[in-house]
Amino acid sequence: MIKKMIIGLLAGVVSGMFSTGGGMILVPAFIHLLNLDATKSRGTSVFCILPMVVTSSFFYYQGNFIDWKVAILCAIGGTIGGYCRCKIIKKIARKVYENSFCSIFNLCFL
Amino acid sequence: MTEIIIGIISGIVSGTGMGGGTILIFLLSFLMGIEQHVAQATNLIFFIPTAIVAIIVNFKNKNIDIQLAIIISIFGILGAIIGANISIRIDVGILKKCFGIFLAIIAINEIYSIFKLYTKQYKNNKKIDNK
Repeated sequence: MIKKMIIGLLAGVVSGMFSTGGGMILVPAFIHLLNLDATKSRGTSVFCILPMVVTSSFFYYQGNFIDWKVAILCAIGGTIGGYCRCKIIKKIARKVYENSFCSIFNLCFL
Repeated sequence: MTEIIIGIISGIVSGTGMGGGTILIFLLSFLMGIEQHVAQATNLIFFIPTAIVAIIVNFKNKNIDIQLAIIISIFGILGAIIGANISIRIDVGILKKCFGIFLAIIAINEIYSIFKLYTKQYKNNKKIDNK
C-alpha cells in the first residue's frame, strides 16, 4: 500500500512539473515493483496519467500558458501520427521498433 | 505546418512506452523556440484526446487493473497539484535545466536496460552453444 502511494505521488509530481514522464515512471514501477505484466501496466498507466494531466492542465490554464493554436495543430498531427504508428507496427516486429526509437532519441538527448 | 509535422512525429513515437510528450516538448522548444512552460501546456492538451482513445481501447481489452489505477490516481492527483505549482512558480531557465537533467536520467536508464537485455541474450546464446 505504501509502495503504491509513493509511486503515485512521485509520478504525479514529475507529471505536473514536466507535464510528461508520468508513464516513464509508472510503467517500469508497475513491472518491477508490483509485478504486473507489460501490457497491463501500460494500460493501467494511461488510466492513471489522465487525471494527473487534467489536474495539471487546470493550473497551466490558470497561469495562461496554453497556446491553443499550436496545441490544436499538434493534436491533429498527433492523431495522424498515431494512425501511422498502428500501420507501421503491423508491418515490423514490435520489439525492433521499440528498441530503435528508444536508442535514436536517447542518443539525441545525450 | 511545422506544428502538424511535430504532432505526427510525436504521435508515431508515443506508444513505444517512452511517451510522445517528451519528444513533443523537446521539438517545440528546440525547433520553434516556444517557451518551456507553453510547450508543456501544449503537451497536456495534446495528451488528453490520445489518452481517452487509449483508455477506451485498453478498457475493452481488459488491460486495466482498476483497483490499482484508482489508488495511484488519487495520489497522482495530489502529486500533480504539487508538481504543477512548483513548475508555474519557478523560472524558465531553471525549469529547462531540470527538464534536461530529467531527460538525461531517462536516457541513461534506457541505455542501461538495453545493455542488460543484450548481455542477457548473449549469455543465453552462449549457454545454447555450450550445450
